[in-house]
Amino acid sequence: MSTDPFETEALSFIDALYRTALRMTRSEADAQDLVQETYIRALRFRDQFTPGTNLKAWLFRILTNAFINTYRRRKTQPEFTELDDVDEFSLYRRMSEVRAASSSADPEQEFLDGIVDVEVKDALEELPEKFRSVVLLDVEGFSYKEIAEMLEIPIGTVMSRLHRGRKFLQRRLLDLAQDRGIAALRTAPQGRKG
Amino acid sequence: MDCDDCLERLYTFLDTELSVEERAAVRSHIERCHDCGGHFELESRFLEQLRDCCTSDAAPPVLRERVIERLRGDLTADG
Repeated sequence: MSTDPFETEALSFIDALYRTALRMTRSEADAQDLVQETYIRALRFRDQFTPGTNLKAWLFRILTNAFINTYRRRKTQPEFTELDDVDEFSLYRRMSEVRAASSSADPEQEFLDGIVDVEVKDALEELPEKFRSVVLLDVEGFSYKEIAEMLEIPIGTVMSRLHRGRKFLQRRLLDLAQDRGIAALRTAPQGRKG
Repeated sequence: MDCDDCLERLYTFLDTELSVEERAAVRSHIERCHDCGGHFELESRFLEQLRDCCTSDAAPPVLRERVIERLRGDLTADG
Protein backbone atom coordinates (compact mmCIF):
# COMPACT_ATOMS: atom_id res chain seq x y z
CA MET A 1 0.00 0.00 0.00
CA SER A 2 1.29 3.43 -0.88
CA THR A 3 1.78 5.83 1.96
CA ASP A 4 3.80 8.28 -0.08
CA PRO A 5 1.55 11.38 -0.37
CA PHE A 6 3.32 12.55 -3.54
CA GLU A 7 2.65 9.22 -5.22
CA THR A 8 -0.95 9.10 -4.04
CA GLU A 9 -1.69 12.61 -5.23
CA ALA A 10 0.11 12.06 -8.52
CA LEU A 11 -1.91 8.90 -9.16
CA SER A 12 -5.16 10.82 -8.61
CA PHE A 13 -4.51 12.56 -11.95
CA ILE A 14 -4.06 9.39 -14.00
CA ASP A 15 -7.54 9.61 -15.59
CA ALA A 16 -6.97 13.20 -16.71
CA LEU A 17 -3.48 12.40 -18.01
CA TYR A 18 -4.68 9.33 -19.87
CA ARG A 19 -7.68 10.91 -21.62
CA THR A 20 -5.52 13.86 -22.69
CA ALA A 21 -2.76 11.55 -23.93
CA LEU A 22 -5.32 9.44 -25.77
CA ARG A 23 -6.66 12.42 -27.69
CA MET A 24 -3.24 13.86 -28.32
CA THR A 25 -1.76 10.63 -29.71
CA ARG A 26 -5.03 9.17 -31.04
CA SER A 27 -3.74 5.73 -30.06
CA GLU A 28 -4.50 3.74 -26.90
CA ALA A 29 -1.10 2.06 -26.90
CA ASP A 30 0.77 5.35 -27.36
CA ALA A 31 -1.37 7.01 -24.70
CA GLN A 32 -0.54 4.28 -22.19
CA ASP A 33 3.18 4.55 -22.99
CA LEU A 34 3.03 8.32 -22.66
CA VAL A 35 1.33 8.16 -19.27
CA GLN A 36 3.80 5.60 -17.95
CA GLU A 37 6.67 7.73 -19.20
CA THR A 38 5.12 10.75 -17.47
CA TYR A 39 5.02 8.98 -14.09
CA ILE A 40 8.52 7.61 -14.44
CA ARG A 41 9.88 11.07 -15.19
CA ALA A 42 7.77 12.62 -12.43
CA LEU A 43 9.24 10.30 -9.85
CA ARG A 44 12.75 10.70 -11.16
CA PHE A 45 12.51 14.49 -11.08
CA ARG A 46 10.28 14.84 -8.04
CA ASP A 47 12.92 16.97 -6.32
CA GLN A 48 12.17 19.64 -8.91
CA PHE A 49 8.54 19.83 -7.84
CA THR A 50 7.82 22.55 -5.29
CA PRO A 51 5.44 21.17 -2.66
CA GLY A 52 2.31 23.25 -2.33
CA THR A 53 2.30 24.21 -6.02
CA ASN A 54 0.02 22.70 -8.64
CA LEU A 55 0.97 19.04 -9.05
CA LYS A 56 -1.58 18.47 -11.83
CA ALA A 57 -0.02 21.28 -13.89
CA TRP A 58 3.47 19.93 -13.21
CA LEU A 59 2.49 16.44 -14.39
CA PHE A 60 0.80 17.85 -17.48
CA ARG A 61 3.96 19.81 -18.27
CA ILE A 62 5.89 16.53 -18.23
CA LEU A 63 3.22 14.85 -20.37
CA THR A 64 3.10 17.57 -23.02
CA ASN A 65 6.88 17.75 -23.08
CA ALA A 66 7.16 14.00 -23.65
CA PHE A 67 4.45 14.20 -26.29
CA ILE A 68 6.17 17.02 -28.16
CA ASN A 69 9.56 15.33 -28.03
CA THR A 70 8.46 11.83 -28.93
CA TYR A 71 5.21 11.78 -30.83
CA ARG A 72 5.13 15.08 -32.60
CA ARG A 73 8.53 14.34 -34.11
CA ARG A 74 7.19 11.21 -35.71
CA LYS A 75 4.91 13.19 -37.94
CA THR A 76 6.10 13.15 -41.48
CA GLN A 77 3.97 16.01 -42.69
CA PRO A 78 3.83 19.27 -40.79
CA GLU A 79 0.37 20.77 -40.39
CA PHE A 80 0.07 23.99 -42.29
CA THR A 81 -3.54 24.71 -41.61
CA GLU A 82 -4.33 27.78 -39.55
CA LEU A 83 -8.10 27.21 -39.57
CA ASP A 84 -8.58 30.86 -40.39
CA ASP A 85 -11.80 30.01 -42.21
CA VAL A 86 -13.54 29.41 -38.87
CA ASP A 87 -13.03 32.96 -37.62
CA GLU A 88 -16.30 34.15 -39.08
CA PHE A 89 -18.32 31.30 -37.63
CA SER A 90 -20.68 32.29 -34.85
CA LEU A 91 -22.66 29.61 -33.07
CA TYR A 92 -25.12 32.22 -31.83
CA ARG A 93 -25.80 33.61 -35.31
CA ARG A 94 -26.17 30.15 -36.80
CA MET A 95 -28.54 29.21 -34.01
CA SER A 96 -30.50 32.43 -34.56
CA GLU A 97 -31.15 31.34 -38.15
CA VAL A 98 -32.19 27.93 -36.88
CA ARG A 99 -34.44 29.44 -34.24
CA ALA A 100 -36.30 31.56 -36.76
CA ALA A 101 -37.22 28.49 -38.80
CA SER A 102 -37.72 26.01 -35.99
CA SER A 103 -40.88 24.97 -34.24
CA SER A 104 -38.89 24.01 -31.15
CA ALA A 105 -39.11 26.24 -28.09
CA ASP A 106 -35.43 25.78 -27.34
CA PRO A 107 -33.36 24.57 -30.31
CA GLU A 108 -30.14 25.58 -28.51
CA GLN A 109 -30.88 23.16 -25.71
CA GLU A 110 -31.78 20.42 -28.18
CA PHE A 111 -28.49 20.99 -29.95
CA LEU A 112 -26.47 20.96 -26.71
CA ASP A 113 -28.30 17.94 -25.30
CA GLY A 114 -27.73 16.10 -28.55
CA ILE A 115 -23.96 16.51 -28.41
CA VAL A 116 -22.64 13.11 -27.50
CA ASP A 117 -19.19 12.08 -26.37
CA VAL A 118 -18.48 10.08 -29.50
CA GLU A 119 -19.15 13.03 -31.79
CA VAL A 120 -16.97 15.30 -29.70
CA LYS A 121 -14.19 12.73 -29.91
CA ASP A 122 -14.57 12.47 -33.68
CA ALA A 123 -14.62 16.24 -34.07
CA LEU A 124 -11.52 16.53 -31.87
CA GLU A 125 -9.73 13.96 -34.01
CA GLU A 126 -10.38 16.12 -37.05
CA LEU A 127 -8.96 19.16 -35.30
CA PRO A 128 -5.28 19.71 -36.23
CA GLU A 129 -2.92 18.77 -33.41
CA LYS A 130 -1.71 22.23 -32.43
CA PHE A 131 -5.29 23.38 -31.87
CA ARG A 132 -6.34 20.12 -30.28
CA SER A 133 -3.63 20.25 -27.61
CA VAL A 134 -4.74 23.70 -26.49
CA VAL A 135 -8.41 22.69 -26.36
CA LEU A 136 -7.59 19.52 -24.39
CA LEU A 137 -5.52 21.40 -21.83
CA ASP A 138 -8.27 24.00 -21.51
CA VAL A 139 -10.95 21.43 -20.72
CA GLU A 140 -8.69 20.10 -17.98
CA GLY A 141 -8.98 23.51 -16.34
CA PHE A 142 -5.59 25.09 -16.99
CA SER A 143 -5.16 28.83 -17.39
CA TYR A 144 -3.85 30.48 -20.56
CA LYS A 145 -0.53 31.03 -18.80
CA GLU A 146 -0.22 27.40 -17.72
CA ILE A 147 -1.07 26.16 -21.23
CA ALA A 148 1.46 28.60 -22.72
CA GLU A 149 4.16 27.24 -20.42
CA MET A 150 3.30 23.62 -21.14
CA LEU A 151 3.35 24.03 -24.90
CA GLU A 152 6.08 26.68 -24.92
CA ILE A 153 4.05 29.10 -27.00
CA PRO A 154 3.03 32.72 -26.31
CA ILE A 155 -0.23 33.41 -24.45
CA GLY A 156 -1.61 35.19 -27.53
CA THR A 157 -1.10 31.98 -29.51
CA VAL A 158 -2.94 29.99 -26.82
CA MET A 159 -5.85 32.42 -27.11
CA SER A 160 -6.05 32.33 -30.89
CA ARG A 161 -5.72 28.52 -31.07
CA LEU A 162 -8.35 28.07 -28.38
CA HIS A 163 -10.66 30.47 -30.18
CA ARG A 164 -10.28 28.73 -33.52
CA GLY A 165 -10.34 25.26 -31.99
CA ARG A 166 -13.64 25.97 -30.28
CA LYS A 167 -15.17 27.49 -33.41
CA PHE A 168 -14.08 24.49 -35.44
CA LEU A 169 -15.71 22.11 -32.96
CA GLN A 170 -18.91 24.16 -32.83
CA ARG A 171 -19.23 24.23 -36.59
CA ARG A 172 -18.49 20.52 -36.90
CA LEU A 173 -20.87 19.52 -34.10
CA LEU A 174 -23.65 21.68 -35.48
CA ASP A 175 -23.15 20.18 -38.94
CA LEU A 176 -23.26 16.70 -37.43
CA ALA A 177 -26.43 17.53 -35.50
CA GLN A 178 -28.06 18.83 -38.67
CA ASP A 179 -26.94 15.75 -40.60
CA ARG A 180 -28.45 13.59 -37.90
CA GLY A 181 -31.66 15.45 -38.64
CA ILE A 182 -32.48 16.82 -35.22
CA ALA A 183 -35.93 18.22 -35.94
CA ALA A 184 -35.34 21.43 -34.04
CA LEU A 185 -32.30 22.22 -36.19
CA ARG A 186 -33.94 21.89 -39.56
CA THR A 187 -33.78 25.11 -41.44
CA ALA A 188 -34.86 23.74 -44.80
CA PRO A 189 -36.63 20.62 -46.01
CA GLN A 190 -34.23 17.70 -45.59
CA GLY A 191 -32.84 16.34 -48.81
CA ARG A 192 -33.37 12.69 -49.58
CA LYS A 193 -30.50 10.34 -48.97
CA GLY A 194 -28.84 8.54 -51.80
CA MET B 1 -17.97 49.20 -24.19
CA ASP B 2 -19.75 48.48 -27.48
CA CYS B 3 -20.88 45.10 -28.83
CA ASP B 4 -17.68 44.49 -30.82
CA ASP B 5 -15.50 45.18 -27.77
CA CYS B 6 -17.73 42.95 -25.70
CA LEU B 7 -17.76 40.01 -28.14
CA GLU B 8 -14.01 40.30 -28.56
CA ARG B 9 -13.74 39.51 -24.86
CA LEU B 10 -16.23 36.66 -24.91
CA TYR B 11 -13.79 33.82 -24.31
CA THR B 12 -11.45 35.71 -22.02
CA PHE B 13 -14.49 36.55 -19.90
CA LEU B 14 -15.82 32.98 -19.85
CA ASP B 15 -12.31 31.66 -19.16
CA THR B 16 -12.01 34.11 -16.23
CA GLU B 17 -8.88 35.61 -17.75
CA LEU B 18 -9.98 39.27 -17.65
CA SER B 19 -8.96 41.90 -15.13
CA VAL B 20 -11.55 42.84 -12.51
CA GLU B 21 -12.28 46.14 -14.30
CA GLU B 22 -12.73 44.56 -17.72
CA ARG B 23 -14.84 41.82 -16.26
CA ALA B 24 -17.17 44.37 -14.67
CA ALA B 25 -17.41 46.30 -17.96
CA VAL B 26 -18.32 43.15 -19.90
CA ARG B 27 -20.83 42.10 -17.28
CA SER B 28 -22.53 45.46 -17.33
CA HIS B 29 -22.74 45.36 -21.15
CA ILE B 30 -24.21 41.86 -21.36
CA GLU B 31 -26.79 42.70 -18.71
CA ARG B 32 -28.04 45.54 -20.90
CA CYS B 33 -27.55 44.03 -24.36
CA HIS B 34 -29.86 41.16 -25.22
CA ASP B 35 -27.87 40.06 -28.27
CA CYS B 36 -24.48 39.93 -26.52
CA GLY B 37 -26.11 38.30 -23.50
CA GLY B 38 -27.45 35.58 -25.80
CA HIS B 39 -23.99 35.04 -27.31
CA PHE B 40 -22.37 34.68 -23.92
CA GLU B 41 -25.02 32.38 -22.55
CA LEU B 42 -24.94 30.00 -25.51
CA GLU B 43 -21.13 29.90 -25.57
CA SER B 44 -21.01 29.26 -21.86
CA ARG B 45 -23.44 26.36 -22.17
CA PHE B 46 -21.48 24.97 -25.11
CA LEU B 47 -18.18 25.07 -23.22
CA GLU B 48 -19.76 23.34 -20.25
CA GLN B 49 -21.07 20.57 -22.51
CA LEU B 50 -17.69 20.25 -24.23
CA ARG B 51 -15.95 19.95 -20.86
CA ASP B 52 -18.41 17.29 -19.70
CA CYS B 53 -17.90 15.24 -22.85
CA CYS B 54 -14.12 15.53 -22.71
CA THR B 55 -13.56 14.74 -19.07
CA SER B 56 -15.60 11.59 -18.60
CA ASP B 57 -13.00 8.99 -19.63
CA ALA B 58 -11.05 7.01 -17.06
CA ALA B 59 -7.67 5.33 -17.48
CA PRO B 60 -7.84 1.56 -18.06
CA PRO B 61 -7.35 -0.33 -14.77
CA VAL B 62 -4.40 -2.21 -16.31
CA LEU B 63 -2.57 1.08 -16.91
CA ARG B 64 -3.07 2.15 -13.32
CA GLU B 65 -1.67 -1.20 -12.13
CA ARG B 66 1.28 -0.95 -14.49
CA VAL B 67 2.10 2.57 -13.36
CA ILE B 68 1.92 1.57 -9.69
CA GLU B 69 4.22 -1.38 -10.39
CA ARG B 70 6.72 0.84 -12.16
CA LEU B 71 6.61 3.43 -9.39
CA ARG B 72 7.14 0.79 -6.73
CA GLY B 73 9.84 -1.43 -7.98
CA ASP B 74 11.29 -0.52 -11.21
CA LEU B 75 12.48 3.04 -11.06
CA THR B 76 15.85 2.43 -12.52
CA ALA B 77 14.83 0.15 -15.37
CA ASP B 78 13.67 2.34 -18.17
CA GLY B 79 12.97 0.09 -21.07
